Amino acid sequence: MNDSAMRPLRPARNWALILGTLLGVTMMTVWSARGIGFSLTELACNLPGGSRLLVESWPPEFSYFPRLLAPLLETLQIAVVGTVIGGILAVPVAVLAARNLTPGVLVWFLDRNVMNVLRTLPDLFWAMLFAAAVGFGPVAGALALTVFTIAVISKLWSESLEAIDMGVPEAVRAAGGSWLAMLQFGAIPQALPHYVSYALYAFELNVRASMILGLVGAGGIGMVLETQRSTFEYPRVTLIVLSVLVIVLVIEQISEAIRRRLA
Amino acid sequence: MTSRPAIRFQDARVVYPNGAVGLAGIDLSIEPGEFVVVVGSSGAGKSTLLRAVNGLTPLTSGSVEVQGQVVPRKEGSELRRLRAQVGMIFQDFRITRRLSVMTNVLVGRVAHVPGWRAMFNLWPEADREVAFRALERVGMTEKAWVRAGDLSGGQQQRVGIARALAQEPAIILADEPVASLDPVTTHQIMRDLVRINQELGITTLVNLHFLDLARRYGRRIVGLRAGELVYDGSADSVTQADFRHIYGRDPDAGDLLDEDAAP
Repeated sequence: MNDSAMRPLRPARNWALILGTLLGVTMMTVWSARGIGFSLTELACNLPGGSRLLVESWPPEFSYFPRLLAPLLETLQIAVVGTVIGGILAVPVAVLAARNLTPGVLVWFLDRNVMNVLRTLPDLFWAMLFAAAVGFGPVAGALALTVFTIAVISKLWSESLEAIDMGVPEAVRAAGGSWLAMLQFGAIPQALPHYVSYALYAFELNVRASMILGLVGAGGIGMVLETQRSTFEYPRVTLIVLSVLVIVLVIEQISEAIRRRLA
Repeated sequence: MTSRPAIRFQDARVVYPNGAVGLAGIDLSIEPGEFVVVVGSSGAGKSTLLRAVNGLTPLTSGSVEVQGQVVPRKEGSELRRLRAQVGMIFQDFRITRRLSVMTNVLVGRVAHVPGWRAMFNLWPEADREVAFRALERVGMTEKAWVRAGDLSGGQQQRVGIARALAQEPAIILADEPVASLDPVTTHQIMRDLVRINQELGITTLVNLHFLDLARRYGRRIVGLRAGELVYDGSADSVTQADFRHIYGRDPDAGDLLDEDAAP
């Protein structure tokens, strides 16, 4: 008996769907590019302008570095405060949003919606809001990053919590444990490595974000960046960008090492 | 009978949301200090019977009493107080692998200490003493500060037993306690359970799949089939015909732990 006779035929490709998708994407892109006045010829003509900016920005003005130390430190401090406070507040937010741990459907529903709002609004919005509330400066930045950290950690960690084995939490309940005891001894220890990992990730994001937050007056290196940029001190801008890059890379290396140990 | 039963089922029924019948009207009385083995094929309702005792699976109708007190069907402080008197041992151990053996055993004390003490690991000296004595009883004292996940399967189950003992319970429920262990460890764990029953007089209810284990370690054997009580008698007098009745078929080698021994 011939085996190949038994093999099913390869189904015909749906060319209409493939071509239709390609056409749709192309049309949408052309329409959008026209809408914002994006044109390749104009881009090519203006490239020398961009390269002039790069040339003017090089070399970085290294002698300016001593005056960056204080703002850089402030940036780190903003990120630390935002990550720690946000990281603590994210714990209840994440637990209540985990379907398997939440004490009630109503709490779960409200918490989910709070999380969605926190996540949908950008960190710049929170920075402006808190700047208006507590005045321009690093405290506004730290508060904005607190909210941002809650949004990041609670979303990621609530999903880790939903994936835990519910056997141990049930055993704690069987021993007469309360909801809190069930969380403390049964649920949270299982998802603790994830929590640490997400908190480190949030810290990295926060150091990066605190550069942007300065643009709206929320303290840190970003405020210096904005001042130097608006006075066309491009070699100083380059130095600032490079400093932040180095800090971010160092933090990434450290947190990567910690995460490897936890795994 | 002068003393009240340790456990009493009266027309106990459990119907799961998917329509499956867990218990189909069980009447059963277990006296203080008894060592009862529950047998039956999988799906016969063995786990449901045990889980009804501490309310992990609430009854649909009828009642279960533990030491004269009706097991509440809703979570709450009343059910937690009742669970404090009932230790449970699981097939998959259900200990927190990331925590120390000691912390896992102290979970058996959660219903006995104020929540804030458990939360900050400030266990009263008396409760630590109870936990140590529980570990001594299963010969695991020297492992007290080892990470529970680093232990062998048999040792992890001993931690599970110590956690149940730390509750200073009136009743121990063991749901297939040896199903994930090798034959040698199986006999050790079964001997531990019998010894604890004899030394401390704790009423013990054990689900077992293997017939030879049931006959060897059980004093009284209860047989379930499709949620109904189909056998209740002494382990010495149980016959091949009784097992045939419980299982609805002839017992074969798969129903024995030691496959060489005749049923």
